[in-house]
Parts: sequence; C-alpha cells; structure tokens
Amino acid sequence: MMLPTLRRTALAIGVCLPVLLSGGCLRQAPDTVAEPGVLRFWNGFTGPDGATMERIVKRFEKDTGLRVKMQIIPWATYYDKLTLSLAYGGAPDVFICHANRLAEFARYDVMRPVDDLVSADEGLDLRDMLPNILAAARYDGKQFGIPLDCHPQGLYYNEKLFREAGLIGPDGRARPPATLAEFLDAARRLTKDTDGDGRPDRWGFAFTWLRTNWITFISQFGGSILNEDLTRSAINQPANVEATRLMADMITRYRIAPKPEGFDSWMGFRQGRVAMAIEGIYMLSSLEEQQGLAYAGAPVPKFGRRMAAWGGSHVMCMPRKLPDDRVRLAWRLIRYLSDNSLDWAEGGQIPIRRSLLKDPRFRAMRVQSAFARELPYVVFEPASHKSTEIMPFYDAAIEASLLGIQSPQQALDEAHRRIGQVMARP
Amino acid sequence: MTQRTEERLTAYAFIAPYLALFIAFLAAPVAYGLYISLHDWHVLGQSRPFVGLANYAALLQDDLFHRALMNTAYFALLTVIPGNAVSLLLALALNARVRGETLFKTLYYLPVVLSVAVTAIIWRWLYSTEFGIINHYLSLLGGPRPAWLNSPALAMPSLAVMSIWWGAGGNMLIYLAGLRGIPDEYYEAARMDGAGALARFRHVTLPLLRPALLFCLVMSLIGSSQVFGQSYILTGGGPHYSTLTVVLYMYQTGFSLYRMGYACAVAYVLFALVLGLTVIQYRLVAGRREDMAA
Repeated sequence: MMLPTLRRTALAIGVCLPVLLSGGCLRQAPDTVAEPGVLRFWNGFTGPDGATMERIVKRFEKDTGLRVKMQIIPWATYYDKLTLSLAYGGAPDVFICHANRLAEFARYDVMRPVDDLVSADEGLDLRDMLPNILAAARYDGKQFGIPLDCHPQGLYYNEKLFREAGLIGPDGRARPPATLAEFLDAARRLTKDTDGDGRPDRWGFAFTWLRTNWITFISQFGGSILNEDLTRSAINQPANVEATRLMADMITRYRIAPKPEGFDSWMGFRQGRVAMAIEGIYMLSSLEEQQGLAYAGAPVPKFGRRMAAWGGSHVMCMPRKLPDDRVRLAWRLIRYLSDNSLDWAEGGQIPIRRSLLKDPRFRAMRVQSAFARELPYVVFEPASHKSTEIMPFYDAAIEASLLGIQSPQQALDEAHRRIGQVMARP
Repeated sequence: MTQRTEERLTAYAFIAPYLALFIAFLAAPVAYGLYISLHDWHVLGQSRPFVGLANYAALLQDDLFHRALMNTAYFALLTVIPGNAVSLLLALALNARVRGETLFKTLYYLPVVLSVAVTAIIWRWLYSTEFGIINHYLSLLGGPRPAWLNSPALAMPSLAVMSIWWGAGGNMLIYLAGLRGIPDEYYEAARMDGAGALARFRHVTLPLLRPALLFCLVMSLIGSSQVFGQSYILTGGGPHYSTLTVVLYMYQTGFSLYRMGYACAVAYVLFALVLGLTVIQYRLVAGRREDMAA
C-alpha cells in the first residue's frame, strides 16, 4: 500500500501544481510563441481524419508558401490544454473548437470575433454557408469562427441483415425505416436469439453514445435541455420525459436493444451483432475498415413529432489576442480549409457550403449525402456557457433511466434540480 | 563563526535542496490552494473576486459532495480492513518459510509496481460484461453475467477488489518484516503453555505486530480517502454517481469545469478530514508507546 499511497500523493500534488504554475509563472507569458511565417494550428483529429487534415494542410503550404505547425492533441485532453493556453498564454493562431464548447470561450472573451474578416473578404460568400450551422458559431450576436463541417448523427444499418429479415424496398435493396412504427417493426424482426439460450444475441438496435442519441430523441418530441433564452433548466418537461421513456421502452418493453451496460454497441454494429445504430457521420471511417460489413446510412427515423438529429460542428477559431499580421495569415488558413472542405468530407464529414453539397463528388459519397439530408433540422447542444457544466447531470439522468435505476421522470427531476442550481449561479 | 553555527549552516545546506523542492512543489501550492479556495476562480475568468468562505458554505449544501464523501467512506470500508487482512494472510503464509518464498514475494508484490492506469485497464477487461474472463467462467458455471462496472450496486465493490489486488503486496512486505521481528522464544513459550495455533496468533502474533498493523491501517486509510485513478479510469464516477469519490469530484470541478476556487475548497475539506483521522490514529500510536514505557 506504501507505493500506491505515495503515488496518490504525487497525483494530488500534480493536480495542485498546474494551478500554481498557471497562476504564477506562466501568467506573463506571451500569447503566442510566434515564428514569422509559421502558423500554429491545433486540433484533436487523432483518427484517420488527422491524416486527411494533414494532406489538406500540406497542400495549403505548397499553394501559399506558408508553413503550418499542426499539433494533434487527443480530444480527451484537448480542451484542458486549449483552455489553459487561452487563459495563460501559448494559444495557437488557429484552433478547432466544437460548437458546443464555443459559448464558454466566447463568454469569457478569449476568442476573436471574425465578423470584420468575413466582411472584408470579398471572395467569401457567406450566403453559400448554411445559416443554421453558421449560427452555431455565433454568440452574443458575434461570429466567433467559421464552421469547417457539420457532423450530424444518422441511422447506420446493416444491409445484409436487413435483406435476410426481408426488409427490402421496391428497388430490391435493403429499406431503412423512416417512422417509429417501421423502426420498431424492423428492429423486432432483426432481434434474434440465434443460439437458443433465451437471450437475444443479435439486436435490432443499440444505443451507442447515450447523450447524443438522447438529444436526437428529445428534440424530435419538441423538448430541450434549457428554456428558450438558455437561462433556466427545462429538462424535466413532459416532452423530454416522453422521449426518454420511449428510449427506455426500447430496452425493457420492446426488447429490441440491449441494456447499455458494458455492451460495446458500436463494436456490435461493426461485427453484425447489432443491425442498426444511430451514430455520427465521423464514425464512417471505422466502418470502412471493417471487412465484410455491408452497411448503409439514412436519416434518423421520425420517432417523435418532428424530424431532428443531434449534430456537432468543428469551428475554426482564433484567440482573442492575436497580432494583426498573424490574424491575416490565420484567416488565410481558415479560408483555405473551408474552401477545401469537400476533401475533408471524404473522411466522414459534411461540408456546410451549399455549392459543395451540390458537387457531384459529394453526391457520390453515399453515407455523407444521406446524412446531409438532416442538415436543415440538425440540433446542437445548448449554446450556453454552462453547457459543459450541465452535461454530466443529463448524462447521469439518461444512464439512470436506461439502466432502470430511476424512472425517466425521477431521473429528469433530479437533473432539473442540479442543472437549476448551476444555472442560478452567475 | 562558532562551531555550533557552522554545524547549523552545514545542516541547512544539506537539507536545502529538498527544502527548496518541498517549498516550491508542496508547501507553496498548498498555501496558494487555500488562497484560491477563498475566491470565485474560473480559469478563464477576467476577474477572480474574493468570496470569503462562500465556497465552503456551498460545499455544505452540495449533495453531490456529500455523495462523494459517503462513496469515499464506503470505499475505505471495503478496502482498509479487508485489504489489510489479505496482506496479513499473505505475510503469514510466506512466514511459514515455504519453498520459493522469494518468487511468491515478487509475484504478490508485482501489482504494486504497476501504475493505476495499467491496473485499471487490465481489470476493465477482466470485468467486461461481454468479453470479461470473470463473466466467461461465471457463465460456464451457469451463473449470471453481472455488469460489474455498470451497475450502481456492484461498481464500488468491483473497484475495491481491484484496489486490494493492486495494493496488497505493499503491506504484505511490512507485515512480513513485522512477523520476522517476533522472536521465536515467545512462540516456544506459548507452545509449552499448551497454546494452539489460533491462540498463538491471538496472544503472541497480533499484540507484537501492533505497530506494523497500526502503520498499515493508517496508511491504507489515508490512501483510500484519496482514491481517484480507479474511478477516473474505469467508471468516470458512474453509474449514477455511485463511484464519484472526493478526489474525482475535485478533479472534475477543477479540470473539467475549471472552477478552481470550488475545487480547492473540496481539497481543503478533504485535507482537514484526513488530517483529523491521522491525528486520531497518531494518538492511538502515542498511547501505545506510553503503555510500553509504563
């Protein structure tokens, strides 16, 4: 026990230390370690998307003669590093910020609005960009970056299992469900106990990322996490309870989905043990590398009263205190990446430019173009600076509802109380 | 310069390197933490207003913090005494001078050398509901397939079992040293008086092992009150807050939400509690010393 104790102590010191260092020594450090002609660009593209980004950046270097120092930091620790660099210095010239994290940085005034750059850039037609996605990068009336992409979740389905279950459309191809009734029917026919032990070992459906799946469901029932002006919790409203109950029913009542406890749903889909999953377009690359899997994509079925699907966006941003000459360089990179977002889309993303969405090259990307049909009604997480802080509370409520620890009403009431406390603080 | 001053200066010179590190990396951060805990200190905040004891007052009302305290106490309950019992049993077994003692000592001690991350990743596979070896053998025996880390009732005990496996070897060595320090004459005398194995253990081994026992119990208690890595890596505090511990709560508050003032207040409350427990334990040890003197 001695060594672990020491190690824990060391860990505890390690937790305190950055606070000291960041508060003390680093405080006065310059905002960017600027090398002339070298742009620093941070993102979290650790997967195959990182290789795609690297190719685009290489081309940018060739086309412009500028140099880009790209640093790829795993998303799990990305925002720790980014936050500290924005607070205490050392931030890059350009960084990727998810739309759902943007409000926090904007509210603490550590990002540079780009409205002046947009209006000064005659080559950029803002009307070419989808307004609802652009709006996800706006806070307090200011545009805080240009969205590189949109990544909604959609329905992935296993074509082979669909055909085996007779779920075939008039064209002879596997037919994805479009409504709740069709979805439940398909899922029931796809759920099978193949080894006869009384437990299904092939599932019609599985929840993968509970939080985003849940946001899709509640949005379809007209619900939301916060009230309209994002000042109070609205999480225990009837629409959310109804949507959460439907999700729980898929596990306990309709028995078409496994309990999300220790079941690797996405691996299940890849291996053909799960026939349908609702996941982000960015998961596409992990399917492409799966041998022998016949998959396809479609918009999320209409479970509730209206169409909606959770989505995210990688927004290209700049730190607040960037010298003007570097701002110009940074903007060139942002523009280039946006102009070339069709290349970016190939790795499992959707561009937000109308002209690129119409491009035959994009139309040939079959899953991307299927999910792109959701863009008009994509739903982002609440654009509140408290977004990250309230997240664990709805995560816990969703988990408790789907594992049967609490009823949806109880779980959401508890989340309502906790989120209410967070929102009440300034 | 008198010889005495010179000696003093030499002494200070010798401790200076350690003292400098101690101040820079421990004493100063600890003091600074207290200062932070009195402020509304968001990492990104332009201003960090002084709020006095408001963070501490908020902690009193914070039911998640209470939950974290209870969970930490539960973890301590599950690990301190059972873990020490395991260590003591291992030490007793090894003290019987079995063949290959060094090998067993090394094997039992091996997990202690691992970092919590490595340990946790190994055990995540063992505990996996679908693919885990534990559930594999359970289902071969016709048993259920419990979701070890995903059910609120089982998650904390699962972390405790893992932690005992991880840490038992360390205390085992201390107990073994303690056992080796007990002169054989006592056992001979006890045997002549007709004491059986159990009586010898109760009346000879346990009392003479008391310093080692106390030391290990205190260290385990301090260690388990700071449990962090296990739930950070394996459960993230879930399901439904069932493995949210005090240090994890502090970490999340400070490094996910960047509310440093509140996080430091959590740290200080934990510090006060651990200090209190240690003082109590220290008194027990001190009391014991007086017994011996008398």
